[in-house]
Amino acid sequence: MAARWSSENVVVEFRDAQATTMSVDCLGYQAVLSGRRFLYIVNLEAPSEPPRKISRQSKWDVGTVQWNPHKSESHVFAASSNQRVDLYSWRDGCGEVHTSLQGHTRVISDLDWSWFEPEFLVTSSVDTYIYIWDTRDTRKPTVALSAVAGASQVKWNRKNQNLLASSHDGDVRIWDKRKPNTAAEYVAAHLSKIHGLDWHPDNEFILATSSQDNSVRFWDYRQPRKYLNILSCQVPVWKARYTPFSNGLVTVMVPQLRRENSLLLWSTLDLNSPVHAFVGHDDVVLEFQWRPQKEGSKDYQLVTWSRDQTLRIWKVDPQLQKLCVSDMVEDLMEGISLNEELEKSSQEPEIQHSVGPTAGNLQDQSISLNSGGRQDSVVGSGLPQTLQQEFSLVNLQIRNVNVEMDAVNCSCVVSAHFGSHQVHLVVKFPAQYPNNAAPTFQFVSPTTIPSDMRIKIQKILTDTSLQKVKRNQNCLEPCVRQLVSCLESDMTQDDGPATGPFVLSNPVTPALPAFPRVTNTYGSYQDANIPFPRTSGARFCGTGCLVYFTRPITMHRSVPPTEPTPRSLSALSAYHSGVLTPMKMRSESQSTLRLYSGSPTRSDKDTVSISSFYYKERKSRRFKTKREGTDYSNRPIKLAGKVIIQEISCLLPVHKALGESYILNMNDIQEMCQKNAAAALLVGRRDVAKVWALASAATSQDLSPDPDPDTETPWARHPFGRHLLETLLDHYSHMSDVQTLAMLCSVFRAQPPPQDSYSLYGHHPSRSSMFPPPHSRYPSYTSSSVTSGSCSSTSDSINTTTWNTGRDPEHPNPWGESSPDDYRYGNPCYTDPREREREQHDMNKRLLDPANTLQFDDFKKCYGEILYRWRLREKRADVLKFASCPPEPHKGIEFGVYCCNCRSQARGTVCAVCKHLTFQCAICHVAVRGSSNFCLSCGHGGHTSHMMDWFRRQDECPTGCGCHCLLQSTF
Amino acid sequence: MVSVINTVDTSHEDMIHDAQMDYYGTRLATCSSDRTVKIFDVRNGGQILVADLRGHEGPVWQVAWAHPMFGNILASCSYDRKVIIWKEENGAWNKMYEYTGHESSVNSVCWGPYEFGLIMACGSSDGAISLLTFTGDQQWDIKKISNAHTIGCNAVSWAPAVVPGSLIDQPSGQKPNYVKRFVSGGCDNLVKLWKEEDGQWKEDQKLEAHSDWVRDVGWAPSIGLPTSTIASCSQDGRVFIWTCDDPAGNTWNAKLLNKFNDVVWHVSWSITGNILAVSGGDNKVTLWKESMDGQWACISDVSKGQGAVSTITDTQQNEQ
Repeated sequence: MAARWSSENVVVEFRDAQATTMSVDCLGYQAVLSGRRFLYIVNLEAPSEPPRKISRQSKWDVGTVQWNPHKSESHVFAASSNQRVDLYSWRDGCGEVHTSLQGHTRVISDLDWSWFEPEFLVTSSVDTYIYIWDTRDTRKPTVALSAVAGASQVKWNRKNQNLLASSHDGDVRIWDKRKPNTAAEYVAAHLSKIHGLDWHPDNEFILATSSQDNSVRFWDYRQPRKYLNILSCQVPVWKARYTPFSNGLVTVMVPQLRRENSLLLWSTLDLNSPVHAFVGHDDVVLEFQWRPQKEGSKDYQLVTWSRDQTLRIWKVDPQLQKLCVSDMVEDLMEGISLNEELEKSSQEPEIQHSVGPTAGNLQDQSISLNSGGRQDSVVGSGLPQTLQQEFSLVNLQIRNVNVEMDAVNCSCVVSAHFGSHQVHLVVKFPAQYPNNAAPTFQFVSPTTIPSDMRIKIQKILTDTSLQKVKRNQNCLEPCVRQLVSCLESDMTQDDGPATGPFVLSNPVTPALPAFPRVTNTYGSYQDANIPFPRTSGARFCGTGCLVYFTRPITMHRSVPPTEPTPRSLSALSAYHSGVLTPMKMRSESQSTLRLYSGSPTRSDKDTVSISSFYYKERKSRRFKTKREGTDYSNRPIKLAGKVIIQEISCLLPVHKALGESYILNMNDIQEMCQKNAAAALLVGRRDVAKVWALASAATSQDLSPDPDPDTETPWARHPFGRHLLETLLDHYSHMSDVQTLAMLCSVFRAQPPPQDSYSLYGHHPSRSSMFPPPHSRYPSYTSSSVTSGSCSSTSDSINTTTWNTGRDPEHPNPWGESSPDDYRYGNPCYTDPREREREQHDMNKRLLDPANTLQFDDFKKCYGEILYRWRLREKRADVLKFASCPPEPHKGIEFGVYCCNCRSQARGTVCAVCKHLTFQCAICHVAVRGSSNFCLSCGHGGHTSHMMDWFRRQDECPTGCGCHCLLQSTF
Repeated sequence: MVSVINTVDTSHEDMIHDAQMDYYGTRLATCSSDRTVKIFDVRNGGQILVADLRGHEGPVWQVAWAHPMFGNILASCSYDRKVIIWKEENGAWNKMYEYTGHESSVNSVCWGPYEFGLIMACGSSDGAISLLTFTGDQQWDIKKISNAHTIGCNAVSWAPAVVPGSLIDQPSGQKPNYVKRFVSGGCDNLVKLWKEEDGQWKEDQKLEAHSDWVRDVGWAPSIGLPTSTIASCSQDGRVFIWTCDDPAGNTWNAKLLNKFNDVVWHVSWSITGNILAVSGGDNKVTLWKESMDGQWACISDVSKGQGAVSTITDTQQNEQ
């Protein structure tokens, strides 16, 4: 599939091994895998051969296993098991324990063979001691280092035979074995636990630590206060180890929730981004080790063991090794100065390697290779490297597409299969690429697409590549993706009618998906801060619906239900092994090993998706993998569940039926209350029916207040007056029954609109002229928008509050209406104390506390919104009429009128000056109070109904002014 | 009683991440990992595919309908770092605007109350929140709050348009002096409240209670009461209800609704703000209701997968 430039060349599964750790011997011939019941010796030359076994009897897993790194003792390995270390010898295909080291009182956390003395082994334990053993005398350790704190790692220095380092939580201690009482140096390296510790292979003073705190830090232990460098990761780092070739570092991340595994190769000279990701393991990488280089080979091999129970061997060829030596000249210089010591030592390989008996040939190789690599990169820092690098980093795991890259000839061949079509495209990269030099694209046989399409694609590719190289950017991946999208869209058009069960009434042409700007792949390690996608959800919509969707029943989480769903999208990184067919489900061993199962159907789909996280049942219903040309909208297994819409309005305190049937008729409050009570009973709201009965009683004419404050205490002051009403409002507030609240507030209007309501606040007295008087305070603004047959649109406009139910001023509501000069609390000086008393009385006689007017208005406004959603716009207008502050000012065009009576300029229907209605109908000559229409051109008009009648037959103005209103005023 | 009135088979090719109906409840928009957004007419229990919107280059996380006074407008946000605003004109859905100002996945979009005009907040994994305001003529004004949440912002939700300290008199006749506010939740485990002052967005409050990423926040709709209510849910499985009674909006009290066993992904308020729908990684939807004495109780358990409703007990309040 995708060309990957270093990939593992060996994958072997040891399904039953259940091995916790692994070690490669110093000759690179074999690896030991430590399972609970057996130790498996894998022949690395022929790894697929069945492994030899050494059985062991222990209820403890093997903690650490390590071969002796000295050639003379290369048949010996040590394995720790709880408090004991067993020394095995492996000869001629069989092995046995020849010695055990016992001394620790708690579990052994780590062990390490000395690089200098083949008999010496160090062990660390939770029991706070670090023991150095001479395997010739196994009764007790030769040296005991007391650390006080338990240790998690211990490692011998590679250059100094007396030094070793141990880690204790976030600290590192450097020990000299000759001074066992105290540590030679302390390094407060990390804030959280250190998982991995590794000495620099060539520098005595430098070590790398990897920690739970999401970082790898590099230290010179002589300067324990400040790290030399830091590699910040998004997740805890399990191990970070130097590579045998220079400047490289391999890290294994602690996967969040055991799902992500990132085995990455870095250059220590540039820690911004990894040089390479070793992609393939489906689960946590438990151990990785380098296999000594073979004679004559420039390749290194990385052997990895993962919880997915596979052993993989990855080839790291010189090109990849070279990437660890930064390709930039500046970086290189920096690198050289930084690693002076390293440089020096590499000039004297003899000295260096005589002390390290570990596979001397290996290091020789590495050094010659290093210097070679360096020269290469200095000399030819330009093209081959960048192209090479692009080839190595390019992510082209695309369905049906294969890219063969040939860095030497600066070209690649892209072959794609889409439906019945095949495309073979040769891309040639010029020498200056990508510095403003675009590659060329050429179709070669057996390309089957028609020539017009070839031309089209060629043009698109050229454009894409030019865009990129102008900015000196690489363009291979964008071009390939562009090609794919072109082909895909073409294919979709081809089989358009068959795409789905629905026929689009107005098909939206599928836009050509451009190449992703996103450079990292979906769900990869870089997506650690993107939340894990929702696969189920519920939303209240409209007024009474709950819309919800869930995972289809056929999709199960592939992790045990006890484990929570991961938080981050990077959990999907485990699925980036598009090349490999996933291993067969290991359903039997799954529970014990907590293996992460790949989805069995993944192979039909190369792109990683959220659905990869869930595995699909119905494995039995094995669908035949259709040949190319499959219309993949017909996936046999549904990944998308159904969306369910549920009616939940019965759970809500508001009722659409009531919204429809409630009336607000202030002319006959008693009747209104009765009708509303009946309506409430119909929907089963007995409580509300009672409230309406109470409202009816409280608004009885017998209880209407006397205008004279001296006669009696107003009913509002009675416990059944305002107090009762407030209790009711409080109750329905708790129930969130905004419908009842708004209706009650409307009936007992706290603040009746006085004639001069705006001077009430003492602010703009002139304002009263700008707004029409109360009963028609919200003029039918629509009159302006339906002028002369022109616009009749905007049915959704919220401002269309038309009504013609202006109250008759002859029948004032005894509970609300008051005379214009009743109160002016904007005016603090009272000339007459009686006036003050009257005002007080006026406030007291109201059933709703005027101080809360705005609150009551909010109820009405909110109820109005709900009515609007129910599309009960007239009911909404009815309610809002009772709000004390007007709805939002009209934002459209507003028309002024010259009063037909006094000729002064006026707004709205009543003239502020003469109080007459301002506008006279051109047909009946009666002043217009309700909705009107007029011509924008001549200004004549009248009652909407009259105008409509007139213009149905005529197109000239009814006044005879000669204006062709219908023609003139269309805009 | 509670009843299923429609079951829509979306034919998405990959998992669905959001489904939302428009203002009137007549159309359903869904989005999926298959990079598409689909719109269905679901009136009268039917399902007619109205549009299949393609334009995103990654999984689409969320959709949001604008208020119908602005026309039929839908916004969608995606892993591809884009926000696309779609508009229906003459029966055809087209891109109205494409916002590409984020540097990482855009996780949440939410339209503001219509009183503020056409305004939208977007929260992204780059840690920023963008506010897009339509200024007419295809122009959008963009304000960006950088580093609103360290690591990333996962959710945004607008406050209803209410006048601060609504009991205080204001010059009547003028446009009410609404303050734009919204709430956001992010990977810093925080819920943050934002307020616009003099055209600038400022952090107003920081609410701490969650111990892991906050996955969703929901500001409850107002029924006109002076109390503000916010629900937040998190990776830690907890759902908190935050209330604020003081008109200045400074004191927020947290109440733990429930601790679930798995991540809670989404909270949604009913229109009257008294029922909360909670959904999460356990593939279940639960409805919670506040009783008269202020306690929250689970009133239903819509268990998923079976597509059936296990009894939603109708704790109707009509009984007096």
